Amino acid sequence: MSMNDIRPTSWRWALLGAVLIVLGWQLLALNLGPLLMATPLQTLKAMWQLPFEADFRVHAGASLLRIGLGVGLGCLLGFCLGLLAGLDARLRGLLESLRWLLMATPPVVVVVLAMLWFGLGSAMVVFISVLMLAPGMYVNTVKGMLMVDRGLLEMVRVYRFGPWQKLRYLYVPALAAPLGAALLIATCSGVRLVVMAEVLGAESGAGFALANARSTFDSAGLYAWTC
Amino acid sequence: MLDWYSIDLELGGRTVLRQVDFRLRSGERVGILGPSGAGKSSLLRLAAGILKAQRGNQQSSFRHAVLAFQEPRLLPWCRVAENLEIPLRAAGRDPATARCVAAEWLERVGLSEYARSWPNQLSGGMAQRVALARALAVEPDLLLLDEPFSALDPALRKTLIDICRDWLEQSAAALLCVSHHPGELVGLVERFVLLNAGGLQTFDAADRAPEVLAEALHQTLMTLETSLP
Repeated sequence: MSMNDIRPTSWRWALLGAVLIVLGWQLLALNLGPLLMATPLQTLKAMWQLPFEADFRVHAGASLLRIGLGVGLGCLLGFCLGLLAGLDARLRGLLESLRWLLMATPPVVVVVLAMLWFGLGSAMVVFISVLMLAPGMYVNTVKGMLMVDRGLLEMVRVYRFGPWQKLRYLYVPALAAPLGAALLIATCSGVRLVVMAEVLGAESGAGFALANARSTFDSAGLYAWTC
Repeated sequence: MLDWYSIDLELGGRTVLRQVDFRLRSGERVGILGPSGAGKSSLLRLAAGILKAQRGNQQSSFRHAVLAFQEPRLLPWCRVAENLEIPLRAAGRDPATARCVAAEWLERVGLSEYARSWPNQLSGGMAQRVALARALAVEPDLLLLDEPFSALDPALRKTLIDICRDWLEQSAAALLCVSHHPGELVGLVERFVLLNAGGLQTFDAADRAPEVLAEALHQTLMTLETSLP
């Protein structure tokens, strides 16, 4: 396959993929029954009614704020540390064990510990998100830094680029691709982490609402909040 | 002035320079010749401050040494004009002056219509012209050229050599130029040094007719190249 054969992602096939998921969902729901799995149509109806519920804004707002803070702070921390570690092998070595520890620890373990340290609420949720998301952004940033073109590194050194110029004209553009991918993954992971933390130990948020819907066997509501 | 005394340079476990003494005065122009793998590019990197000698005494009083690499090494995400403007701003020029100087140099190397182009839209020769313009635009007092004309056709090579010569005469900058073709350095340099097996041998272009010297050095290089394993 040559470079000329690489085409943009087909939106038609993406749409087909989505349709196949909905079809599969419908078949499963028909098999399992309404108690275990709401159909796509039932979920759609529940989603339509959700914004009109009294506490929707409270729960949705709480989750969005926590996701924003968690993803934002986690990515910022990971990026800054990754930038510094990419430049300094000693710092990279120093952070290696911590990075492995955080990436290997199951999030649910961190939730339990965070509940002990912070109690219930937003601080616990944001703390978990930052702790779990920062390592991924850190790894992508470090890898990106280590793959910066050595020739360009020599060139900026010869022409005496200042630190800000190096960041703006060399490192950030060179890191755009790995950081873009890392940010997308972090955002999606952040949503999952926040909701999980809220299910286990919060008094508001989408996860809290999910937990309530589960306890009342409201499967349509459960799927509506999931979507 | 560049003053090296008993310089040893090792790279990847290999000795590139061994007990080398070398001096370059302000405004002096020297051509560096040698077989492939002799360490010519490494010598330029040493002069540019990118590499450090393991042993020996290395002193330089040059304010700004600029190395024009074998490859253009343009920032692929910046337009052609920006590739000149950014180093000019790094050298202390304000943005407006940097834009003017960049435009002037693109005009001099015949690429003013490509100012808004991206580097990947240029041919190899065009990119090398931009790289050379970038090196001269920042007005170094020591210009290091690493085979900058190798990717160019003969006519363009002559044009750019003339531009370099004119610039050197106006600026009185020193020059270290690596080339595989001694003939193209005739009239550009005052002496040649031959780098081989870690050592330097000097040939003063004033000793004999430059063309004769260049031919003799070319023959020497051919002999050295064919004797490589």
